[in-house]
Amino acid sequence: MGRKTIRSKQTDRLLAMMLKEPLTWHHGYALMKLTGLQSGTLYPVLLRLSDQGLLETLWREADKPGKPPRHVYRLTSAGLAFAREQVAPARRKPHETSAAKA
Amino acid sequence: MSETPRRRAAQALMRHAARIMPRGDWGKAMQNELQAIDDDHVALRWAFGCVIAGYGERMNVMLQTWYARSALACLIVLLALREFFAPLLIFAYRTQHLGLAHFLGLRTAGDDYRRLIPVMDATPAWLPLLWVAAGVFFLMALWRMLRRVDGAVALFFLAFALDLAGAVMAKSIESSTGVIVTPNLMVRAGGEILMLSAGLVLWRMTQKGTAAAS
Repeated sequence: MGRKTIRSKQTDRLLAMMLKEPLTWHHGYALMKLTGLQSGTLYPVLLRLSDQGLLETLWREADKPGKPPRHVYRLTSAGLAFAREQVAPARRKPHETSAAKA
Repeated sequence: MSETPRRRAAQALMRHAARIMPRGDWGKAMQNELQAIDDDHVALRWAFGCVIAGYGERMNVMLQTWYARSALACLIVLLALREFFAPLLIFAYRTQHLGLAHFLGLRTAGDDYRRLIPVMDATPAWLPLLWVAAGVFFLMALWRMLRRVDGAVALFFLAFALDLAGAVMAKSIESSTGVIVTPNLMVRAGGEILMLSAGLVLWRMTQKGTAAAS
């Protein structure tokens, strides 16, 4: 099948959140708390974004001793561009648009 | 400190999720994340969600294999043939190709096409055309699926809608003539359920890798 863009509310919510802090690495659990997405929804979205080169991943040592390393995520430059393109227009308020026109 | 039953259940679920997740590093990532969650109730919900994510990914991988695609292709061909069956029988009967009508009649409930003559007489000419159109749309959906071109799902569900419309019309003809073409309700419902399932599998197959972006 063609790899056309199929957006979902969950993807948009995640992208919008990651767009707020584009340089920050996020843990899966933190992303769940920040977006309200359950792990069963969050991980498939993260996988898709990662497969499409929109998300970079890294193993990072845990803050607490004795805990295993954690996977962290942030948007790549392509991911940031995609998020700005997909999410930002939807968030822009009408008065911002008219102000921009003026 | 001893672990609570919820924590143990969460860990067991997470081990299962990590095992079924086709990509080991992601399974490990989910598993390690569990240990950073202090609340046992949240941990259990997290683990349960990870099991769902694991099975979803496993299914996505399976659906991309050649044997899954081949099985679905065979099923769609069968669905198309099923749509062509009634029009062919009606055509054979009306054009007096009774040998063919007899042959096809052996594949109906009751093994005799003559039982269905009142229904075939009462069937308007457009209804077989509707079924043929449904069959053609199934084959077009199959072609698009095999060529990996967009539109397969839409065509499939268009065919499904035509099939359902035909079934409703056929039901009213059966009521007016008093002849039940397929007396077994399980067979009737099974066909529609199979069709819907095939459509959902096709939809899921086309979703792989397209959830976020091109």
